[in-house]
Amino acid sequence: MSAPARSQLQDIGLSATCAEVLHHLWDYLDEQITPSSAERLRAHIATCTTCRGYEEYQECFLQAVAGLRQELGAPESLRQRLAERLKGQGCGCWDKVRGK
Amino acid sequence: MPINQDFEAQVTDVTADVGQVARSASDAGKDAAFERDALPWLDDVYRFALSLTREESDADDVVQETFLRAYRSWHTFIPGTDCRRWLFTICRNVFLRSRERQRPTVDLEDGEQDAVAAGSVYAAAREKGYDDLYATLDLAPALREALDELAEPFRSAVILVDVEDLSYESAAEVMGVPIGTVRSRLFRGRRLLQEKLVTVAEDLGFHTTGQFGAR
Repeated sequence: MSAPARSQLQDIGLSATCAEVLHHLWDYLDEQITPSSAERLRAHIATCTTCRGYEEYQECFLQAVAGLRQELGAPESLRQRLAERLKGQGCGCWDKVRGK
Repeated sequence: MPINQDFEAQVTDVTADVGQVARSASDAGKDAAFERDALPWLDDVYRFALSLTREESDADDVVQETFLRAYRSWHTFIPGTDCRRWLFTICRNVFLRSRERQRPTVDLEDGEQDAVAAGSVYAAAREKGYDDLYATLDLAPALREALDELAEPFRSAVILVDVEDLSYESAAEVMGVPIGTVRSRLFRGRRLLQEKLVTVAEDLGFHTTGQFGAR
């Protein structure tokens, strides 16, 4: 981490270790860091209320974003139009597009 | 008709019939594969198209064009690979072309700035008592609105990775950029969303007591 970034994080009350956790938390949650690094972060988070709070905060955020997936599907009107156009292309399974 | 000519005509007919049968079998196989591998992803492609266009009518057009192109180009799809990722790639290209603009470019960053900024957002939120707003409030409408307001490269990264659950690698293929760029765009998108949501929480008057570091 760059010195300015570390300084910025320490200014808001984070220790150097907490700053490292914050810096890499998204990589950690996305499983983009090495297992050994993940284990190091996990060990720190387990003993640090500040970092645990931040982890929970980010996990809740990511769950909220993932929740947007819900059941938003292609509307029937779109399915009808697509089916007709695929039929026009000679697609033999065009009738499978309509209805779910 | 001379005998030789008649014979040639018959051979030609037989050849044509064999060709027709072969072509029909090929088409049937193509249709079966298209139905099995591509059509199940219609809802997913629609969701992705809607996140790109932000308009249902535009999303309809993009989805139709995506599946028509996929059908016409089915021979280029490699069986056994991720068809959803392939369709997303076509979908995004159709969208970008429909907007008649160049593929957006975003400065390549390492994501540090956004990760750090997200920490600052959290610190500020915690000081104001907003640190559990995601667990307390149903922010889905505000989140969707905030997502719609993101610039396209950041929106695509968030949609592909956080909503559609693609890996960084798959998202990079869909977006046609290096994995590091996906990461930087994703982090920027997440940070911007969190900033917007804290603003929404403030506007809603959401407040509990809490101090940073005193949880």
